[in-house]
Amino acid sequence: MAYLDLLHLEKSFGPNRVVKDFNIGIEQGEFVSLLGPSGCGKTTVLRMVAGFEAPNSGEIRISGVDLVGSRPNQRNIGMVFQSYALFPNLTVAQNVAFGLSVAGMKKAQIAERVAEMLDLIGLADLGQRFPYELSGGQQQRVALARALAVRPKVLLLDEPLSALDAQIRVTLRREIRAIQQRLGITTIFVTHDQEEALSISDRVVVMNGGLADQIGTPFDIYNHPTTRFVAEFVGTLNTFDVVVTDPDTGTVMMGATSLVLNRPVAAPKGGKVTLAMRPEAASLGGAGDLTLTGRVEDVQFLGAIIRIKANVGAHQLTLDIFNRADMPPPAIGSAVPISLSTHSLVVLVK
Amino acid sequence: MRTARFWPYAAFLCGLAYFIIPLIGMFEFSLRKRRGVYSLDAYTSVLTDPQFQQTFLYSLFMALVAIFIGVLLVVPTAYWVRLRLPKLRPVVEFVTLLPLVIPPVVLAFGYIRLFNTSSVVPFLGSEFGTNILLSCGYVVLALPYMYRAVDTGLRAIDILTLTEAAQGLGASWAAIIFRVILPNVRVAVASGAFLTFAIVIGEYVISALLDRPAFGPYLVWIGSNKAYEPSALAVMTFAITWGCMALIQVITQFSKHTRTPL
Repeated sequence: MAYLDLLHLEKSFGPNRVVKDFNIGIEQGEFVSLLGPSGCGKTTVLRMVAGFEAPNSGEIRISGVDLVGSRPNQRNIGMVFQSYALFPNLTVAQNVAFGLSVAGMKKAQIAERVAEMLDLIGLADLGQRFPYELSGGQQQRVALARALAVRPKVLLLDEPLSALDAQIRVTLRREIRAIQQRLGITTIFVTHDQEEALSISDRVVVMNGGLADQIGTPFDIYNHPTTRFVAEFVGTLNTFDVVVTDPDTGTVMMGATSLVLNRPVAAPKGGKVTLAMRPEAASLGGAGDLTLTGRVEDVQFLGAIIRIKANVGAHQLTLDIFNRADMPPPAIGSAVPISLSTHSLVVLVK
Repeated sequence: MRTARFWPYAAFLCGLAYFIIPLIGMFEFSLRKRRGVYSLDAYTSVLTDPQFQQTFLYSLFMALVAIFIGVLLVVPTAYWVRLRLPKLRPVVEFVTLLPLVIPPVVLAFGYIRLFNTSSVVPFLGSEFGTNILLSCGYVVLALPYMYRAVDTGLRAIDILTLTEAAQGLGASWAAIIFRVILPNVRVAVASGAFLTFAIVIGEYVISALLDRPAFGPYLVWIGSNKAYEPSALAVMTFAITWGCMALIQVITQFSKHTRTPL
């Protein structure tokens, strides 16, 4: 039993099943991201935990106590919304104090907690301002402080960075992670931005069509995706459809080329599987247990990275190489050797 | 170019003259009580009339009661309809419009028939009961204006997210309505309140049929018995109504949180 257990959660809106048999156990102090495209059910899961939606079936347990059936204001779960949801009629300090005030805490204690929270988010001197006098990033910090002020059992973040510009997003996500680690609060973070999810989470749940396709650490999700959806949704991917000729040794046929992966493949002989490769897994020239020759079709200079698209037989590969001042990118139309390790090829059976 | 500018101004000035000239005429007439000179005699006469003070204070009190009941009735209703019953909105809007198409005389006779001294609930058997009925009648008359004002105010804020944010922080429904929703629609509520006030101050039919000492019947009585005082009263009533409208503007201007965010 984990600290927060979501067991067999199901939710339908009319005939539309938006969450299907969703299961996860989250340990105390863990930061878990729900990642997926729009309409995959991630926000619905979050809203069920908060109590704003009732599951059709399943259980939501915190420390073994089932919360299904209890009202949102009885759950002691903090939530931060995409649109900040600060009360426009209250100052920053009053917003942070709101939850403490409705809980009947004494004024002196409230003032102390508010000061502590404003200090935590670095807005100690803006307590008397109204929300309209703050920038988007500052408003979201206040929303975070307000949610944390009541010392919730779980913190829910519903795409809190989506409304902010790119630079603020990066800064704020680092701050959110730092605050979460400092307070040790169990957190569920909903996002459709894979970079955001991978950069701040202990674990990531990739959702697709109401199902949790894969649950794992960011490293696992990125490097060992178990489904084609996860592989394609998280990061850029090169895929090759191949036919298995020897499942035990992992020998596959890619067109007329035979590749030996040197590891078993969970597919029958003659079965079709997909090989996937990240753009950074291959290199130009260099050493690898597989070398192919490609013709450069396109070169994009992205600063630290140079993205090259090269045709290899009937396939087009996308390669990312580090930019080095002493090594200019290859010319378009030139033939280049591409080397890769068969270990970096991921076999996607599903 | 000049011709294009001339006609809108001309139309505006014609419209302005249409409204202003009768008012100026009325104001001028109200100053002519003393023969041969302009004076404020008609105003002094009205303001020192004990019946004026009594009826005005009575209507003022009834207006406050009607505003209080109206706010308590309309704000939670409009909020709940927007939050949980959006499909019912057209129905509720239709119901709130009924007072505009059903004459107040129908309402008054309905009250008399339902709540007379021989009925199960004989409100009309006592002064207090009749006052309750009158305030309810005022609430009904002001309903279209109060509902629309509050509904427009609610439209301007994201009530669903604010409600969920407050719920997540442990707030009860009462706390949400009185600490989150009501303060954020106070400009709209103030607009509805001032409109209610303006309606109550001039209302005649229900108060006359229920035989209450309200300002509306007093206006009619003085209009049929005096010459210059009705004009003075009309000018004063206009001043009160415009004062209310100016107050709405002042409240809107001073409502800090309605300003555009950074």
